[in-house]
Amino acid sequence: MNKIISFFLSLKLTVTLLALSMVLVFAGTLAQVHQDIWTVVELYFRCFIAWIDWSIFFPSAWAIPSVKIPFPGGFLLGWLLVINLIAVHGAHFRIQVKGGRKVAGIVMLLLGVLVTLGVMFGWGTASVATSESDAFWRVFLRLGRGSLAALVLYVACILLYRKRAGMVLLHGGILFLMIGEFATALFAVEATMTIKEGETVGYIDHSREVELSFTEGSNPAFDQVFVVPEHKLKSGALISRSDLPFDLRINRFIKESSRPQLLAAVPSALRENYPAYEGYGSTVYVAEASESGGVGGGRNAPAVDVDLIDRASGKSLGRYIFSLWFYPNFVNRAWDMPQTIRAEGKMYTVYLRSRREYLISSEGNPYSIKLLDFVHEKYEGTQTPKDFASQILLINEEDNVNRELRIWMNNPLRYARRTFYQSGYLPGDSGTILQVVHNDSWMIPYLSCMFVFVGMSAQFIQSLRRYLKRTDACVR
Amino acid sequence: MRKITIHLLIVLFSIWFFQKGVMLPQETAEDFQLNAFAQLPVKFEGRRKPIDTFARNLLTILSDKQTVRVDGKKGSAVHWLLGAISGSPEAENYNVFRIENLDVLSSLGLEERKGFRYSYREIISKVGTLDAAVRAAYGRNENQRDLYDKQMMKLAHKFYLYQNVTASFEDPSTLPPEQWPYTAQRYQQLEKYSIPLLIPSGEAPVRWTPLMSALLAVRRGASDPQAVRMGAMLAAYRINDAAQFNHELKEYGAALQSNNPAVIKKLSFEIFYNRLSAFMKSAQLYLLVFLISCFGWLARKRGLIRLALTLMVCAFIPHTLAIIARMFLSGYPPVTNLYSSAIFIGWAAVLAGIILERVYRKADGMGNLVGSIAGFTTLLIAHFLAGDGDTMEQMRAVLDTRFWLTTHVITISLGYMATFVAGTLGVFYIFSGLFTRRLDEQTNENMARMMVGTTCFALLFSFVGTVLGGLWADDSWGRFWGWDPKENGALLIVLWTAIMLHARYGKMVQNRGFAVMTVGGNVVTAWSWFGVNQLNVGLHSYGFTQSASLGLMIFVGLQLGVILLGLIPLRFWKSATCKP
Repeated sequence: MNKIISFFLSLKLTVTLLALSMVLVFAGTLAQVHQDIWTVVELYFRCFIAWIDWSIFFPSAWAIPSVKIPFPGGFLLGWLLVINLIAVHGAHFRIQVKGGRKVAGIVMLLLGVLVTLGVMFGWGTASVATSESDAFWRVFLRLGRGSLAALVLYVACILLYRKRAGMVLLHGGILFLMIGEFATALFAVEATMTIKEGETVGYIDHSREVELSFTEGSNPAFDQVFVVPEHKLKSGALISRSDLPFDLRINRFIKESSRPQLLAAVPSALRENYPAYEGYGSTVYVAEASESGGVGGGRNAPAVDVDLIDRASGKSLGRYIFSLWFYPNFVNRAWDMPQTIRAEGKMYTVYLRSRREYLISSEGNPYSIKLLDFVHEKYEGTQTPKDFASQILLINEEDNVNRELRIWMNNPLRYARRTFYQSGYLPGDSGTILQVVHNDSWMIPYLSCMFVFVGMSAQFIQSLRRYLKRTDACVR
Repeated sequence: MRKITIHLLIVLFSIWFFQKGVMLPQETAEDFQLNAFAQLPVKFEGRRKPIDTFARNLLTILSDKQTVRVDGKKGSAVHWLLGAISGSPEAENYNVFRIENLDVLSSLGLEERKGFRYSYREIISKVGTLDAAVRAAYGRNENQRDLYDKQMMKLAHKFYLYQNVTASFEDPSTLPPEQWPYTAQRYQQLEKYSIPLLIPSGEAPVRWTPLMSALLAVRRGASDPQAVRMGAMLAAYRINDAAQFNHELKEYGAALQSNNPAVIKKLSFEIFYNRLSAFMKSAQLYLLVFLISCFGWLARKRGLIRLALTLMVCAFIPHTLAIIARMFLSGYPPVTNLYSSAIFIGWAAVLAGIILERVYRKADGMGNLVGSIAGFTTLLIAHFLAGDGDTMEQMRAVLDTRFWLTTHVITISLGYMATFVAGTLGVFYIFSGLFTRRLDEQTNENMARMMVGTTCFALLFSFVGTVLGGLWADDSWGRFWGWDPKENGALLIVLWTAIMLHARYGKMVQNRGFAVMTVGGNVVTAWSWFGVNQLNVGLHSYGFTQSASLGLMIFVGLQLGVILLGLIPLRFWKSATCKP
């Protein structure tokens, strides 16, 4: 037991863990040459054991065979560092004061925690926030709030730890930052929103998940939508739902499918093995593709090969292929390929689409965004973009929100715990693509940055002064 | 008194050194008024600049130099440009295209020659070969292209840039009317490329038009006296009519002055900035400072070190002013691209050296040594990075936030600077301990203290800079940390400096070990600064340059060599204090 404790107490462990982290980060950087960034993040950083591919350390021209070596992953190193940090601090930085000073210190500490929480959960910020002024003030204000929390905590640390106040605060800041990043890794959600000029959209696309949707529009007042989530779309599965007049037999779930090509243009050898699909599958060719490499490479596009089964007879009503490539938001509205299915007198429009989530405000009411205008400025005589901006209307009738706002580069809209960033645009500048992020821990980096800054500066200034005093004494 | 005189002499020498080449060349009234022509405004790659800058940048892209050799004499960039755009026949014979690759040369049927520079006429006769090779190269996947492909593409880029630029100064007046529609179409196509826009019109906002389109509009009945004057000016130059050229130039300038005074603002200052070429001269002086300080430090000559410090300050002042001038001219904070980051990091390192020398009483010339060598190397790196053209380019939309550029980029650059300063100290520590007896007990302690101090500084700045970068990302696309290569590079520096300080704090390393680690810091920082750009992935890949690859590998190799030297057992070290 003592051995375990002293193991976690040593600075040697810190240095070892940091060194291992360097190797991991380096490997994770090199791996991005061949793999897309999200795959790398999952394989190297957001896991306990990372399998490092040996070949990434060599130029791809050498054709080194790929050998996977187990290595502590980001989560494992992170947690070990956290334990090590807490252990070392617990053992070496004991509270050194007693009596009133201790009480005052603890009161200040609680106050500091309170201020920190207040800053984190947006005390004193507007519910609909975009900035018409410069990024400068907005960020300064946030860092200022962070500094306030940092100063209160620094005073608490001075009261409790005297000369080691800076050390404690700076490591506290690191700890806070790491916990914040764990939280982000686990809970933050990124999605996109595609809006054409003049269009009103009330949902976001979770682009890394798909769902199979059946939309039935016989009722003039509303559409009925039936959705099969990705985890049910397994090869070989039989899906039977009471609200659909037919069953689904999943022949294949294709994780990576290629961009559809005209079937007539495909070599006949490939065409022979191609199943006889109904709908678009009868005219376009959708093939399985190996995973696209690098950030600049192609995109992941799942597809699903489905038989519709008549419940009474058990016979197939037709075999269909649904690819994400048919979904207009995936291809930046370049085309739209809905497939319709008739059953029991009803028409179903079917897509394999990105998982859709409807926008709901904190009060539980739906809201939507209308794109009034999209502006894409370039520098004169060049193709270099100067500015992207979306002029939008935020509409939430139940909560009485109806505001015209501007979202542009580095100036997002924050509303209902989501942040809407200008991220891209549709061909011909006909619409905008917004990145929509839900991350409750987004203020933690601002706070911890200031904690570390205050702590580290205090510590360094203190050492410098001590040193200067000593040399002064020497000179005298 | 004698000391003051010597210091004064150094100051005078520096002033003389910096004023060289600033004065405009003499011209008589009968000559072509090139000085005045060089001051005319042009808009290229989104930035308004004097023709002087445009000519220098273009020539740098084509031939890696800012001057051109004509009949054995050095000619200015403006002289060359004027010849090229006016269509004077001898301009096609100027050797301005630099081709160093022997395979490229042989496939174009060109002989290897001193300077590796070839003329437009030599290449145009082989344009079919060039086109075919480039088309083949574009057909291949990016990682399958070999050196030959890349060099061919590079040459084609230069060649078509030159063609587009000269075409944009064409005068369509000689064309018969039935060809106008076709020509208009061709010009529209040409306008999609990066070409110089010459004729400013309107008040504010000023609209810019390339000369050929403006002249075509005139042909079709529009009224544009400025375009006509410019066309006449170039025609006069072509037939060597100086009087006519000067007359049109004067009219053109006067009309600009009265119609659009805003577009000629800052232009003469930019020419002064170009002619001063302060960074190159500062670099030369820093090298001199380094040599003097080396001698002074080894021989323990205090006086020499002081002289070197004066010289370093004399070089530092123009260095500073030139950075301010760049900020004034471009309207951006000091660091916007790799070029400016090199200049800024060098500047900060020199400043750190001066501060070390002035404030820290026992620096003993170490500040001079570190500051001058860092200043020299970074300015040299900047010089090589300048080959891509305008160093004051406009920023892409996502980067164009002055707040983040100022805070994040400057902090992170200061972090880089501090690791380099610490690393340079480490190199000096190893060399002086291993090869000389100079590293006595006192010096040993002082140097260790300087290294630790700078490393603390490095950790503080790289940490805050990295986090600020994350906050910028959070502010721009809602992701504080995305494991992007550049972010990872910055993180590596933070981790490495943290390891160093923890190892020191936990007494895992002594002075020598720490010195070796600081040299390791050089490697980590160089990788973060340049290496990740070579990967060409991720959101930060805008800093990509090809020539940096080799330089980086050489640098890393050298540093690893120093580390190995530093690991030689202490009993082989020459300085006695190191002996265990």
